[in-house]
Amino acid sequence: MGRKKFEEEVVEANLLPVMNIMLLMIPALLLAMEIARMAAIAVSPPKFAATADSKEEDKKEKPLNLKVFIMEDGYRVSASGQQAGADAGKSADSNSPTIALAKPGTPLDDHDRYDYASLEAKAKEYKALFPHETVVTVSAENSIPMQSLLRTMDALRGTDCKLMGAMTANEEVPAECLFWQAIVEAGAG
Amino acid sequence: MTPEEEQAFLERKKAKRAGKRGFAEEGAVLGMTSLMDAITIIVTYLLKNYGSDPVVIAPTAGQKVPNSTADTPIQDGVPIYVTQRAITFMDRRVVQMDENGEVDPAALQGHLIGPLYDLLAEEADRAKKMAEGKGEEWEGRIILVGDQNLKFSVLVDVMYTAGRAEFREYAFCVVMKNQ
Repeated sequence: MGRKKFEEEVVEANLLPVMNIMLLMIPALLLAMEIARMAAIAVSPPKFAATADSKEEDKKEKPLNLKVFIMEDGYRVSASGQQAGADAGKSADSNSPTIALAKPGTPLDDHDRYDYASLEAKAKEYKALFPHETVVTVSAENSIPMQSLLRTMDALRGTDCKLMGAMTANEEVPAECLFWQAIVEAGAG
Repeated sequence: MTPEEEQAFLERKKAKRAGKRGFAEEGAVLGMTSLMDAITIIVTYLLKNYGSDPVVIAPTAGQKVPNSTADTPIQDGVPIYVTQRAITFMDRRVVQMDENGEVDPAALQGHLIGPLYDLLAEEADRAKKMAEGKGEEWEGRIILVGDQNLKFSVLVDVMYTAGRAEFREYAFCVVMKNQ
């Protein structure tokens, strides 16, 4: 008696619905992703200023207490309560900024109007005198735009400063970093 | 007509006749496996990238996030979107700005932005309870997603309000600038 031989029928999976879903997911995920690379600048509120200063006092080192005030006509920079460039015998000279504008007469929304290079050079001078200092208090007049504030903070931190390693891998803060801990304060001028 | 052309013509004619008689045409099968592989790899890569961000920042329409040379990654926190037109929190337009880009005086009590404070305090309570449930410490971080031309006074008001709602850490969201 001969046996009947059944031939197995090969059924191919219909991949078209899966392909459709996959193809729809690609644009959806691309849209959800960030197009520009985002970063964050950690800032401290004024209440932490006292903590930073007391630490310095513990080390028996005179605190620098660096303050930068962004005005419509330039920067007022002061350290240890003394404004840089003020008249002799005066702690502050409200009439003239320490660092004048790089582009005088330009509107406030021109973010290149400030002399960031001079500010960074000034910060480097202070850093050379106080190598352990990392804190700076930044304040501004009410009308100053956020972009100018951030570029000021960039200059004070140092343009070559890379904090990624220090923040994520517990590496030491690079020597190029100047004043990278910013305290944003209202009306600190 | 050359012999080659004549041959081709006859073949076409034959095929046409066969088609009319109802012969089934032999269909070509599209190989999908390699395409599937490629698409699966792309989707997996995109999903991995999407899932690795602790917080997704999606600026509101017309918002120009400031740029900076900072390279530190965004840590987990609650984003507040502040533009010259409105303050948006948790997809809700909380406060409208006036024509000068300042916070609407009706919503302001000194430096405190009332409607924003209510929502932030509510969120702080919720987040604290969640952290307690997980046995973790609540970090209380605010990610301030501002606008390039946002006034410093508005920034200070938002920071003050967040501070009053017990948020202790602040970060400015920026677009990384290539040097």
